[in-house]
Amino acid sequence: MTQEISIKKNSNGKIGAVMVLGAGVAGIQASLDLADMGYKVYLVENKPSIGGAMAQLDKTFPTNDCAMCLLSPKLVDTARHPNIEIITNADLHKLDGEAGNFTAIIDKRPRYIDEEKCTGCGTCTNNCPVRNIAHFEDVDELGKVHLSQEDQQVIEQILAGHESERAAVISVLQDINARYRYLPEDILRHTAKALDIPLSRVYSIATFYNSFSLVPRGKYVVRVCMGTACHVKGGYQILQALERMLKIASGGTTEDNLFSLEEVRCLGCCGLAPVITVNEDLYGSVKQAKLPKILERYQDESVVAESTVGGTE
Amino acid sequence: MIVQPEGIFYQMLTVENIPNLVEEHLVKGRPVDKLMYVPSKGKPPIPKLSDIAFFSKQRLVVLKNRGLIDPEKIDEYIARDGYQALAKALTSMDSEQVIEQVKGSGLRGRGGAGFSTGLKWELTRKSSGNGKYIICNADEGDPGAFMDRSIIESDPHSVLEGMVIGAYAIGAAEGCIYIREEYPLATKRLHIAIDQAREYGLLGEDILGSGFSFDITVHRGAGAFVCGEETSLIGSLQGQTPEPRIRPPFPAQSGLWGKPTNINNVETWANIPTIINRGAEWFASIGTESSKGTKVFSVVGKVNNTGLVEVPMGMTMREIVFDIGGGIPGGKKFKAVQTGGPSGGCIPESLVDLPIDYERLMEVGSIMGSGGLIVMDEETCMVDVARYFLDFLRSESCGKCTTCREGIAAMHDIVADICNGKGEPENIGLLEELAEAIKDASLCALGGTAPNPVLSTLRYFRDEYDAHIKDKKCPAGVCRALISYRIDPEKCKGCMLCGKHCPEKAIGGEPKGPQTIDLEKCIKCGVCRESCKFEAVLIE
Ligand SMILES: Cc1cc2nc3c(=O)[nH]c(=O)nc-3n(C[C@H](O)[C@H](O)[C@H](O)COP(=O)(O)O)c2cc1C
Ligand code: FES
Repeated sequence: MTQEISIKKNSNGKIGAVMVLGAGVAGIQASLDLADMGYKVYLVENKPSIGGAMAQLDKTFPTNDCAMCLLSPKLVDTARHPNIEIITNADLHKLDGEAGNFTAIIDKRPRYIDEEKCTGCGTCTNNCPVRNIAHFEDVDELGKVHLSQEDQQVIEQILAGHESERAAVISVLQDINARYRYLPEDILRHTAKALDIPLSRVYSIATFYNSFSLVPRGKYVVRVCMGTACHVKGGYQILQALERMLKIASGGTTEDNLFSLEEVRCLGCCGLAPVITVNEDLYGSVKQAKLPKILERYQDESVVAESTVGGTE
Repeated sequence: MIVQPEGIFYQMLTVENIPNLVEEHLVKGRPVDKLMYVPSKGKPPIPKLSDIAFFSKQRLVVLKNRGLIDPEKIDEYIARDGYQALAKALTSMDSEQVIEQVKGSGLRGRGGAGFSTGLKWELTRKSSGNGKYIICNADEGDPGAFMDRSIIESDPHSVLEGMVIGAYAIGAAEGCIYIREEYPLATKRLHIAIDQAREYGLLGEDILGSGFSFDITVHRGAGAFVCGEETSLIGSLQGQTPEPRIRPPFPAQSGLWGKPTNINNVETWANIPTIINRGAEWFASIGTESSKGTKVFSVVGKVNNTGLVEVPMGMTMREIVFDIGGGIPGGKKFKAVQTGGPSGGCIPESLVDLPIDYERLMEVGSIMGSGGLIVMDEETCMVDVARYFLDFLRSESCGKCTTCREGIAAMHDIVADICNGKGEPENIGLLEELAEAIKDASLCALGGTAPNPVLSTLRYFRDEYDAHIKDKKCPAGVCRALISYRIDPEKCKGCMLCGKHCPEKAIGGEPKGPQTIDLEKCIKCGVCRESCKFEAVLIE
């Protein structure tokens, strides 16, 4: 559909209408300001909806304010403003004229739904039998999964173990996490394809739960309990002492990939508070002064392991 | 270790103690005083298990088999009347009678909200639709509570038996147990128990020849507090992002895979066999007017005897903390008990004689929750505790509702400022305003109860907030920005242990002479205080 915008001139020869290209937050704010000043605004956007990149953000820099909380009132105002006409899913085809009197030709791509009647309930997306290609992904890269033969075997085996389950995705991720100690990207892509669910769903689950990590973890994962009982008995001090000793922040991994430091919410051994675990080993009634000894045990082991590797060379 | 038939109880034994014990007690018949339980320093030891308040005040219903049976052997459970209730229900009762019994017992959900279990079963039973589900919520998310873990680890069959009876009453053919992944041993024991029960014909097709079929699957969580919330748990089981959804429809109408679903906590399920065995009247005779039966609490924190205790409802906090818990270690002063996890509140010393049941806890601004009791002494800062819970909830909020996601973070930042000495008097009003908004506008109970820890500490410990805001002092000596460490030259013996551990090398002094802390270098990690054997390091 091609729409031609041309408007009657004012007495001074200028036109009281403005076209704003791009309905990101800047375009939206400009449109609102202009519309409030009394101009008719045509807000043209290439994407199917307005909001732009800000609508995809969680926080804004540097104040850490909630992005949607700032943006959504503006979205609503824009949609409701009598002086603003929103033209989405559209491209500027041609622009003629000069300042004060332009003629724009806009190509509007079809939506295949009646925009007047649609309430945006989203039922159609849920029921659509064809998986949509996300707008934000590089289409060429999509579907390309690079797996080594070994990885391929491992993942096939994991998937086979959960064939009968109705909602296998979490169990599969748990098994991948147990095998690799994190969730490698290519394996996630493969999982999405194999289970026939969108990659975005796999990621939303992978990032929701605390026990999954998208980056590789160290050989030993040190978990510090941040439960209430451990907190009142000084768990936080223990965490900070470990951060100092390992020279990493909570959630990080040491450069030599030996230790990762994580927080956990109650290990269910609250009588022994404060508690830490190193892989499967549990340490109760931990004191800061005891930490170097605990870490040493694992460091020494790695020295042994490394020297045997060195010896075979 | 207990020596029967006298019932003499020995504790904290090591291998070295055993020859002596065998020689003295078992051979010569002379009980060994020095290995017995001593209630507190200077008091005579108490030889008999049944006389020790920690045990004598307890009443074991759910934990009756703990430590007495091998949880991996179904025969031992059966030998202690296990699966008798199931046989009774299947052979001599119809489903309505079972529900009547559970309703009549007055059992209320042990997972937090305390909804009547019998009523919930009835609702699910009456919901139309086939293929109903029952779920056991073993996602014990409250930090500081571990009764569900302990029940499953020590007596998994009691939960299974409860679930089969429930399934029979409700008319469900499938059950799920959703268990936290932090509990690997419990998960393993559940699998063993389920396999054994199947082998014995107590699960699966045609249970005990009654024509009733029911089976259970186990699902592991992946570390998300909000998954304990029932709608979110169901989402997680369905492989979705586990965000809570709006209720109604309640799970009883439309739950797992859109079918009527009954969801109960581990402890709730574990109560069922005893109710069926001993009858509703027996169960209802324990406890208070509105809260029947016993409750398992995990008594942890600054208390001498930490661990799980099972007591009748209506016992006072004083009895639990001082008689059973043995009071506060190191002669410190008791300050408060925190109940109900991140959704609960603190009960101050002035209310320590409060009988504990669902209603009374609610009245004083806390909740029963899953039963974690975290004891706090004078060295626990209540503002810091409020900050801790907000931090917990901030990171566990699923992010669906703006008020919960942003509001808790905003409250956290304010309380953290107060802890850091940057608080302003008007902060309190703002906190209360935010609390209202979060309570009103959040979809699930995580947000709905999130302000509780702040409101209850504000209610009972306003003076501590004032001290932080006005005097820039932390009376409990916890908030780092407001304290400094000093070594008492009178007490210091110059052993130099503190200096050895100090990560910043901030402690100096001559050997055998008093040490001093260089406050410029000190990062207030507290290792000096922790390692000092003479209590010479003071907080100011
Ligand atoms: C944020 C949140 C976390 C919860 N966590 C748990 C939990 O860890 N364990 C549990 O049994 N119930 C938990 N619940 C309560 C459940 O939603 C549900 O009420 C309970 O499992 C019902 O069982 P009951 O009737 O036996 O208590 C939680 C609720 C909320 C709102
Ligand atoms: S609070 Fe740390 S183990 Fe429970």
